[in-house]
Amino acid sequence: MTTGAIWAVIAGMAVANFAIRFPSLAILSRKELPEWARRWLSFIPVSAMATLVAGGVLRPDGDWMVSVADPYLWAAIGTGAFYWRFRSFIGATVTGVILFLALRAVLG
Amino acid sequence: MPTTDSKQAACPPRRARFTRGLKLGLPIFLGYVPVGAAFGVVAREVGFTPFQAIVCSATALAGAGQLIALQLIGAGASVAAVIVTTAVVNLRYVLFGAAMSPHVSRVRLPGQAFLAFTLTDETFAVNIDDHRRSLADGYSMAGVGTIAWTGWVLGTAIGAVAAGFIGDPTRFGVQFAMPAMFTALLVAQAEDRRHVITACVAAVLAVAFMLTLPDPWYLIAAPMLAATAATVVTR
Repeated sequence: MTTGAIWAVIAGMAVANFAIRFPSLAILSRKELPEWARRWLSFIPVSAMATLVAGGVLRPDGDWMVSVADPYLWAAIGTGAFYWRFRSFIGATVTGVILFLALRAVLG
Repeated sequence: MPTTDSKQAACPPRRARFTRGLKLGLPIFLGYVPVGAAFGVVAREVGFTPFQAIVCSATALAGAGQLIALQLIGAGASVAAVIVTTAVVNLRYVLFGAAMSPHVSRVRLPGQAFLAFTLTDETFAVNIDDHRRSLADGYSMAGVGTIAWTGWVLGTAIGAVAAGFIGDPTRFGVQFAMPAMFTALLVAQAEDRRHVITACVAAVLAVAFMLTLPDPWYLIAAPMLAATAATVVTR
Protein backbone atom coordinates (compact mmCIF):
# COMPACT_ATOMS: atom_id res chain seq x y z
CA MET A 1 0.00 0.00 0.00
CA THR A 2 1.36 3.44 -0.92
CA THR A 3 1.94 6.21 1.61
CA GLY A 4 -1.03 8.11 0.19
CA ALA A 5 -3.26 5.04 0.53
CA ILE A 6 -2.16 4.54 4.14
CA TRP A 7 -3.07 8.15 4.92
CA ALA A 8 -6.46 7.58 3.25
CA VAL A 9 -7.02 4.53 5.48
CA ILE A 10 -6.04 6.52 8.58
CA ALA A 11 -8.39 9.40 7.69
CA GLY A 12 -11.22 7.05 6.76
CA MET A 13 -10.91 5.06 9.95
CA ALA A 14 -10.86 8.23 12.06
CA VAL A 15 -14.03 9.57 10.42
CA ALA A 16 -15.82 6.21 10.39
CA ASN A 17 -15.07 5.46 14.03
CA PHE A 18 -16.32 8.80 15.24
CA ALA A 19 -19.37 8.63 12.99
CA ILE A 20 -20.23 5.25 14.51
CA ARG A 21 -19.70 6.27 18.13
CA PHE A 22 -21.14 9.76 18.34
CA PRO A 23 -24.70 9.90 16.87
CA SER A 24 -26.37 7.24 19.03
CA LEU A 25 -24.87 8.70 22.20
CA ALA A 26 -25.69 12.32 21.39
CA ILE A 27 -29.15 11.84 19.89
CA LEU A 28 -30.52 9.36 22.43
CA SER A 29 -29.17 11.39 25.36
CA ARG A 30 -31.65 14.11 24.37
CA LYS A 31 -34.64 11.80 24.38
CA GLU A 32 -36.63 10.27 27.20
CA LEU A 33 -36.42 6.57 26.39
CA PRO A 34 -39.34 4.26 27.19
CA GLU A 35 -38.87 1.86 30.09
CA TRP A 36 -38.44 -1.20 27.85
CA ALA A 37 -35.71 0.54 25.85
CA ARG A 38 -33.82 1.50 28.99
CA ARG A 39 -34.12 -2.08 30.22
CA TRP A 40 -32.89 -3.41 26.85
CA LEU A 41 -29.90 -1.08 26.95
CA SER A 42 -29.13 -2.14 30.52
CA PHE A 43 -28.50 -5.68 29.26
CA ILE A 44 -26.17 -4.55 26.45
CA PRO A 45 -22.96 -4.23 28.57
CA VAL A 46 -23.06 -7.76 29.97
CA SER A 47 -24.16 -9.21 26.61
CA ALA A 48 -21.41 -7.38 24.72
CA MET A 49 -18.68 -8.40 27.16
CA ALA A 50 -19.82 -12.05 27.04
CA THR A 51 -19.71 -11.90 23.23
CA LEU A 52 -16.21 -10.40 23.24
CA VAL A 53 -14.98 -13.02 25.71
CA ALA A 54 -16.52 -15.85 23.65
CA GLY A 55 -14.84 -14.58 20.48
CA GLY A 56 -11.50 -13.78 22.10
CA VAL A 57 -11.22 -17.01 24.05
CA LEU A 58 -12.89 -19.66 21.90
CA ARG A 59 -11.68 -18.34 18.53
CA PRO A 60 -8.55 -16.23 19.08
CA ASP A 61 -7.06 -14.87 15.84
CA GLY A 62 -9.80 -16.62 13.88
CA ASP A 63 -8.78 -20.16 14.85
CA TRP A 64 -11.25 -22.20 16.88
CA MET A 65 -10.18 -23.79 20.13
CA VAL A 66 -9.39 -27.40 19.28
CA SER A 67 -8.90 -28.91 22.73
CA VAL A 68 -9.95 -28.26 26.32
CA ALA A 69 -6.23 -28.04 27.16
CA ASP A 70 -6.30 -24.51 25.78
CA PRO A 71 -4.33 -21.69 27.43
CA TYR A 72 -6.90 -19.04 26.42
CA LEU A 73 -9.75 -20.96 28.06
CA TRP A 74 -8.04 -21.69 31.38
CA ALA A 75 -6.37 -18.29 31.60
CA ALA A 76 -9.80 -16.68 31.09
CA ILE A 77 -11.32 -18.83 33.83
CA GLY A 78 -8.43 -17.87 36.12
CA THR A 79 -8.84 -14.18 35.23
CA GLY A 80 -12.57 -14.27 35.94
CA ALA A 81 -12.04 -16.09 39.24
CA PHE A 82 -9.38 -13.56 40.28
CA TYR A 83 -11.68 -10.63 39.56
CA TRP A 84 -14.60 -12.34 41.32
CA ARG A 85 -12.50 -12.85 44.45
CA PHE A 86 -10.46 -9.64 44.59
CA ARG A 87 -12.46 -7.14 42.50
CA SER A 88 -9.24 -5.77 41.05
CA PHE A 89 -9.36 -4.98 37.33
CA ILE A 90 -5.61 -4.48 36.97
CA GLY A 91 -4.81 -7.45 39.20
CA ALA A 92 -7.08 -9.69 37.13
CA THR A 93 -5.61 -8.48 33.82
CA VAL A 94 -1.98 -8.93 34.93
CA THR A 95 -2.77 -12.30 36.51
CA GLY A 96 -4.53 -13.36 33.35
CA VAL A 97 -1.57 -12.55 31.11
CA ILE A 98 0.92 -14.27 33.47
CA LEU A 99 -1.38 -17.29 33.70
CA PHE A 100 -1.67 -17.32 29.90
CA LEU A 101 2.11 -17.30 29.48
CA ALA A 102 2.52 -20.08 32.06
CA LEU A 103 -0.24 -22.20 30.54
CA ARG A 104 1.09 -21.67 27.04
CA ALA A 105 4.52 -22.88 28.20
CA VAL A 106 2.96 -25.99 29.76
CA LEU A 107 0.16 -26.79 27.34
CA GLY A 108 1.77 -25.49 24.17
CA MET B 1 -17.69 17.76 31.03
CA PRO B 2 -19.75 20.67 32.33
CA THR B 3 -23.10 19.77 33.75
CA THR B 4 -25.92 21.69 35.30
CA ASP B 5 -26.68 19.30 38.12
CA SER B 6 -27.50 21.33 41.21
CA LYS B 7 -26.31 18.44 43.39
CA GLN B 8 -22.80 19.17 42.20
CA ALA B 9 -22.48 21.91 44.76
CA ALA B 10 -21.81 19.10 47.23
CA CYS B 11 -19.61 17.17 44.82
CA PRO B 12 -15.81 17.21 44.69
CA PRO B 13 -14.36 19.83 42.34
CA ARG B 14 -14.13 19.07 38.63
CA ARG B 15 -10.40 18.44 38.78
CA ALA B 16 -10.82 15.88 41.56
CA ARG B 17 -13.53 14.10 39.60
CA PHE B 18 -11.37 14.09 36.45
CA THR B 19 -8.40 12.77 38.46
CA ARG B 20 -10.62 10.09 39.93
CA GLY B 21 -11.45 9.04 36.37
CA LEU B 22 -7.75 8.90 35.48
CA LYS B 23 -7.17 6.55 38.42
CA LEU B 24 -10.20 4.48 37.53
CA GLY B 25 -8.88 4.08 33.99
CA LEU B 26 -5.30 3.26 35.00
CA PRO B 27 -5.81 -0.50 34.50
CA ILE B 28 -7.01 0.26 30.96
CA PHE B 29 -3.84 2.29 30.41
CA LEU B 30 -1.68 -0.60 31.59
CA GLY B 31 -3.56 -3.00 29.35
CA TYR B 32 -3.51 -0.73 26.32
CA VAL B 33 0.23 0.00 26.36
CA PRO B 34 1.30 -3.55 25.42
CA VAL B 35 -1.54 -4.07 22.94
CA GLY B 36 -0.88 -0.62 21.44
CA ALA B 37 2.79 -1.59 21.19
CA ALA B 38 1.77 -4.73 19.31
CA PHE B 39 -0.21 -2.54 16.93
CA GLY B 40 2.82 -0.28 16.47
CA VAL B 41 5.10 -3.23 15.67
CA VAL B 42 2.70 -4.77 13.14
CA ALA B 43 1.95 -1.35 11.61
CA ARG B 44 5.64 -0.94 10.80
CA GLU B 45 5.67 -4.42 9.25
CA VAL B 46 2.90 -3.53 6.79
CA GLY B 47 4.49 -0.24 5.74
CA PHE B 48 3.34 2.46 8.19
CA THR B 49 5.88 5.02 9.32
CA PRO B 50 6.06 5.50 13.12
CA PHE B 51 4.26 8.85 12.65
CA GLN B 52 1.44 7.23 10.65
CA ALA B 53 1.01 4.50 13.27
CA ILE B 54 0.78 7.08 16.06
CA VAL B 55 -1.66 9.29 14.14
CA CYS B 56 -3.82 6.26 13.36
CA SER B 57 -4.07 5.30 17.04
CA ALA B 58 -4.54 8.91 18.16
CA THR B 59 -7.41 9.57 15.75
CA ALA B 60 -9.18 6.20 15.55
CA LEU B 61 -8.69 4.62 19.01
CA ALA B 62 -10.18 1.52 17.46
CA GLY B 63 -8.31 -1.35 19.14
CA ALA B 64 -9.26 -4.57 17.42
CA GLY B 65 -10.51 -2.58 14.42
CA GLN B 66 -7.00 -1.19 13.87
CA LEU B 67 -5.36 -4.60 14.18
CA ILE B 68 -7.81 -6.05 11.65
CA ALA B 69 -7.07 -3.11 9.33
CA LEU B 70 -3.40 -4.08 9.40
CA GLN B 71 -4.23 -7.69 8.55
CA LEU B 72 -6.27 -6.50 5.57
CA ILE B 73 -3.58 -4.08 4.40
CA GLY B 74 -1.01 -6.88 4.68
CA ALA B 75 -3.30 -9.07 2.56
CA GLY B 76 -3.50 -6.40 -0.15
CA ALA B 77 -7.06 -5.14 0.48
CA SER B 78 -8.24 -1.83 -0.99
CA VAL B 79 -8.57 1.38 1.05
CA ALA B 80 -12.38 1.17 0.92
CA ALA B 81 -12.41 -2.49 2.00
CA VAL B 82 -10.19 -1.72 4.99
CA ILE B 83 -12.34 1.22 6.14
CA VAL B 84 -15.66 -0.59 5.66
CA THR B 85 -14.47 -3.74 7.46
CA THR B 86 -13.12 -1.85 10.46
CA ALA B 87 -16.35 0.14 10.60
CA VAL B 88 -18.36 -3.09 10.71
CA VAL B 89 -16.07 -4.48 13.43
CA ASN B 90 -16.83 -1.37 15.46
CA LEU B 91 -20.58 -1.23 14.81
CA ARG B 92 -21.15 -2.43 18.36
CA TYR B 93 -20.22 1.09 19.46
CA VAL B 94 -23.60 2.22 18.16
CA LEU B 95 -25.08 0.02 20.89
CA PHE B 96 -22.54 1.19 23.45
CA GLY B 97 -23.28 4.83 22.61
CA ALA B 98 -26.99 4.15 23.04
CA ALA B 99 -26.38 2.39 26.37
CA MET B 100 -24.28 5.34 27.55
CA SER B 101 -26.81 7.92 26.41
CA PRO B 102 -28.96 8.04 29.58
CA HIS B 103 -25.80 8.72 31.60
CA VAL B 104 -24.57 11.66 29.52
CA SER B 105 -27.81 13.61 29.20
CA ARG B 106 -26.40 16.46 31.31
CA VAL B 107 -23.09 16.60 29.46
CA ARG B 108 -22.76 19.33 26.82
CA LEU B 109 -22.29 18.43 23.17
CA PRO B 110 -18.48 18.99 22.99
CA GLY B 111 -18.12 16.83 26.09
CA GLN B 112 -20.33 14.17 24.55
CA ALA B 113 -18.16 14.29 21.42
CA PHE B 114 -15.06 13.63 23.52
CA LEU B 115 -16.75 10.78 25.40
CA ALA B 116 -17.87 9.27 22.09
CA PHE B 117 -14.34 9.62 20.66
CA THR B 118 -12.89 7.76 23.65
CA LEU B 119 -15.65 5.13 23.74
CA THR B 120 -14.02 1.71 23.69
CA ASP B 121 -15.04 -1.68 25.08
CA GLU B 122 -13.03 -1.02 28.21
CA THR B 123 -13.95 2.63 28.85
CA PHE B 124 -17.58 1.69 28.26
CA ALA B 125 -17.54 -1.18 30.76
CA VAL B 126 -15.62 0.78 33.40
CA ASN B 127 -17.91 3.81 33.11
CA ILE B 128 -21.09 1.71 33.15
CA ASP B 129 -19.82 -0.08 36.27
CA ASP B 130 -19.05 3.31 37.85
CA HIS B 131 -22.55 4.56 36.96
CA ARG B 132 -24.10 1.53 38.61
CA ARG B 133 -22.45 2.68 41.81
CA SER B 134 -23.77 6.20 41.15
CA LEU B 135 -20.23 7.58 41.16
CA ALA B 136 -19.63 8.51 37.51
CA ASP B 137 -20.15 11.92 35.96
CA GLY B 138 -18.93 13.67 32.83
CA TYR B 139 -15.57 14.62 34.32
CA SER B 140 -14.76 11.19 35.67
CA MET B 141 -15.72 9.63 32.33
CA ALA B 142 -13.47 12.15 30.57
CA GLY B 143 -10.65 11.07 32.90
CA VAL B 144 -11.21 7.41 32.02
CA GLY B 145 -11.23 8.27 28.31
CA THR B 146 -8.10 10.43 28.56
CA ILE B 147 -6.00 7.81 30.34
CA ALA B 148 -7.20 5.08 27.94
CA TRP B 149 -6.33 7.22 24.90
CA THR B 150 -2.92 8.02 26.38
CA GLY B 151 -2.15 4.35 26.96
CA TRP B 152 -3.16 3.36 23.45
CA VAL B 153 -1.16 6.14 21.78
CA LEU B 154 1.88 5.73 24.05
CA GLY B 155 1.89 1.98 23.45
CA THR B 156 1.67 2.53 19.71
CA ALA B 157 4.56 4.99 19.84
CA ILE B 158 6.71 2.53 21.78
CA GLY B 159 5.89 -0.30 19.40
CA ALA B 160 6.33 1.74 16.24
CA VAL B 161 9.60 3.35 17.28
CA ALA B 162 11.14 0.28 18.92
CA ALA B 163 9.73 -2.34 16.56
CA GLY B 164 13.19 -3.69 15.80
CA PHE B 165 13.97 -4.25 19.48
CA ILE B 166 10.60 -5.69 20.46
CA GLY B 167 10.38 -8.33 17.74
CA ASP B 168 7.37 -10.63 17.97
CA PRO B 169 5.09 -9.09 20.66
CA THR B 170 3.12 -12.32 21.10
CA ARG B 171 6.00 -13.86 23.05
CA PHE B 172 5.04 -11.48 25.88
CA GLY B 173 1.44 -12.75 25.90
CA VAL B 174 -0.02 -9.45 24.64
CA GLN B 175 -2.63 -11.34 22.63
CA PHE B 176 -4.30 -12.28 25.92
CA ALA B 177 -4.31 -8.73 27.37
CA MET B 178 -7.62 -7.82 25.66
CA PRO B 179 -9.41 -11.15 26.44
CA ALA B 180 -8.19 -10.79 30.05
CA MET B 181 -9.64 -7.27 30.30
CA PHE B 182 -12.90 -8.40 28.69
CA THR B 183 -13.17 -11.32 31.14
CA ALA B 184 -12.65 -9.12 34.19
CA LEU B 185 -15.14 -6.57 32.83
CA LEU B 186 -17.65 -9.34 32.13
CA VAL B 187 -17.50 -10.54 35.74
CA ALA B 188 -17.85 -6.91 36.85
CA GLN B 189 -21.05 -6.56 34.78
CA ALA B 190 -22.61 -9.79 36.06
CA GLU B 191 -24.26 -8.16 39.04
CA ASP B 192 -27.14 -10.58 39.57
CA ARG B 193 -28.63 -13.84 38.32
CA ARG B 194 -30.42 -12.15 35.41
CA HIS B 195 -27.14 -10.74 34.13
CA VAL B 196 -25.30 -14.06 34.54
CA ILE B 197 -27.99 -15.85 32.52
CA THR B 198 -27.96 -13.08 29.90
CA ALA B 199 -24.16 -13.42 29.63
CA CYS B 200 -24.46 -17.18 29.10
CA VAL B 201 -27.13 -16.66 26.42
CA ALA B 202 -24.97 -14.04 24.69
CA ALA B 203 -21.94 -16.36 24.72
CA VAL B 204 -23.93 -19.24 23.20
CA LEU B 205 -25.39 -16.89 20.58
CA ALA B 206 -21.91 -15.55 19.83
CA VAL B 207 -20.67 -19.06 19.08
CA ALA B 208 -23.75 -19.79 16.95
CA PHE B 209 -23.32 -16.55 14.99
CA MET B 210 -19.57 -17.05 14.57
CA LEU B 211 -20.42 -20.37 12.92
CA THR B 212 -23.23 -19.06 10.73
CA LEU B 213 -22.73 -15.35 9.97
CA PRO B 214 -19.90 -13.72 8.04
CA ASP B 215 -17.37 -12.00 10.30
CA PRO B 216 -17.66 -9.83 12.31
CA TRP B 217 -21.46 -9.60 12.51
CA TYR B 218 -21.61 -11.83 15.59
CA LEU B 219 -20.21 -8.89 17.57
CA ILE B 220 -23.41 -6.93 17.12
CA ALA B 221 -25.98 -9.72 16.52
CA ALA B 222 -25.29 -11.69 19.71
CA PRO B 223 -25.53 -8.78 22.19
CA MET B 224 -28.67 -7.41 20.52
CA LEU B 225 -30.47 -10.74 20.56
CA ALA B 226 -29.36 -11.64 24.08
CA ALA B 227 -30.47 -8.23 25.40
CA THR B 228 -33.81 -8.62 23.58
CA ALA B 229 -34.37 -12.06 25.13
CA ALA B 230 -33.51 -10.71 28.57
CA THR B 231 -35.86 -7.74 28.13
CA VAL B 232 -38.74 -9.98 27.07
CA VAL B 233 -38.20 -12.53 29.84
CA THR B 234 -37.87 -9.90 32.59
CA ARG B 235 -40.94 -7.95 31.45
